[in-house]
Amino acid sequence: MSSDADLKKVRMVYYAEDTEALEQVLDRLLDLSRAKRALLIDVEGHMVCSRGGGLDDLDIESVSALVAGTFAATKETARLLGQEEFSVLFHQGEKDSIQLTLMDDRLLLGIIFDDSTTIGMVRLYAKETARKVQEVLSRPHQETAGESDALGEGFGESVEQSLDNLFSE
Amino acid sequence: MPLQINFGLKTVSCKIVYYGPGLSGKTTNIQMIHDQMPGDRRGELTSIKTKGDRTLFFDFMAFDLGKVAGMDTRFQIYTVPGQVFYNATRKLVLQGADGIVFVADSAPDRLQANVDSWRNLQENLAERHLSLHDLPVVIQWNKRDLPDAVPTDELHHSINVNGAPTFEAVAFRGEGVLNTLKGICTLVCKSIDVSRHKSGVPLRGETEAAGAVPALVASQPVAAREMRFVSRRMSAFGAASVPQAPVMAVDEARTDAVEVRQLSPVSPGIGDVPTPPRTARRVDTFVGTAPRKHRRSVRRKVVVAAAAIAAAAGAALLLHALGIL
Repeated sequence: MSSDADLKKVRMVYYAEDTEALEQVLDRLLDLSRAKRALLIDVEGHMVCSRGGGLDDLDIESVSALVAGTFAATKETARLLGQEEFSVLFHQGEKDSIQLTLMDDRLLLGIIFDDSTTIGMVRLYAKETARKVQEVLSRPHQETAGESDALGEGFGESVEQSLDNLFSE
Repeated sequence: MPLQINFGLKTVSCKIVYYGPGLSGKTTNIQMIHDQMPGDRRGELTSIKTKGDRTLFFDFMAFDLGKVAGMDTRFQIYTVPGQVFYNATRKLVLQGADGIVFVADSAPDRLQANVDSWRNLQENLAERHLSLHDLPVVIQWNKRDLPDAVPTDELHHSINVNGAPTFEAVAFRGEGVLNTLKGICTLVCKSIDVSRHKSGVPLRGETEAAGAVPALVASQPVAAREMRFVSRRMSAFGAASVPQAPVMAVDEARTDAVEVRQLSPVSPGIGDVPTPPRTARRVDTFVGTAPRKHRRSVRRKVVVAAAAIAAAAGAALLLHALGIL
């Protein structure tokens, strides 16, 4: 039977305490590196958390999917070329750039920055951030009395009802 | 299933993949979903495609169901490229799928393509140590408007050996598209409940009943048989690239999380591709008549090129989405 630690290890579930701690890590990254936005995305394209601003109309869902897809494609390219992986991708734009860092095999760190900082600063703090994220996610979950980290019963039935309502709009 | 449950952000996020042979209507489905979905509930439709409008990497859109049981429930919909040539990128998109919609073409001259694509789906799942028994799957019989459309009985007989729920559709007119989507989304979310019951994990407000595993009754329009979604995700991840974590003290007392349990593998059904042992390596179907060594070399270059092109296209689209490009 899979333990809770196993679930956290493969990152299916993120508890409130994890998300709060991750947000603090990303806030610190943004302060130190002077980057605009930091995203944590799992390799399947789901956004875990996002901090920062300056890109108000950013379509986070699409960005998460594209980041994951891009990484999956480059990982396969690396494998076919006899490499373990390409763990860092950097895309330079005219105004803004993005660095994508693979952290273990489940999470991607995306950092969007402009010319108020440098790629060197971003890379320096990205490494440190990756280590801190690993620390947060390897901590065992502490049960607290009355916590609400659970899915309610009959989630599937509730979804069916909501879908009926959505498609009848 | 690698769906994501984020109690911090109060979100549940699931990935649905539309699979099927080339030109069967996968992209048409997602376009119709995008057109028919209320604008405040869905994101943009992102397509990575060739100049000839054929899917190169994937089409993608996300929609938000709103709050369900206190959680923002979101679905991400992907389509795969259907052309045989793009199997490498199909495998990438299939990673992490929580549910699959197989879009079959009802044209009589596409019957074999349906069968080949169905088999390809099973092979690609088997590479990840999964089978069609492990994931919610629905089948859409598309293009039912064709005057010579193959009767659904015959289509059932040709591929639906697992008895997956089916939906008829005329996707370019939007008919049957939302019903199909609703079917797969419901199945995916109900399988969350199933997994938790199977694992014996008590739900909120319940007390744990020793040994109680409720019988599974699938909702309409599922066929009247017990459906079991055997979650082999943990074994799949054990064989994949998750690194061995150091031994650590674990709080085993926590039980109200969603839990995925490895159960006994289901025996393959008729027409199933047997799941290979973990050490086995799938050999790609070859194309062409050149000597085998040369074919492998050419195929490798083609696959590398396809992956690189897809990555470049994806990167360009990513930068565009970020407003950088």
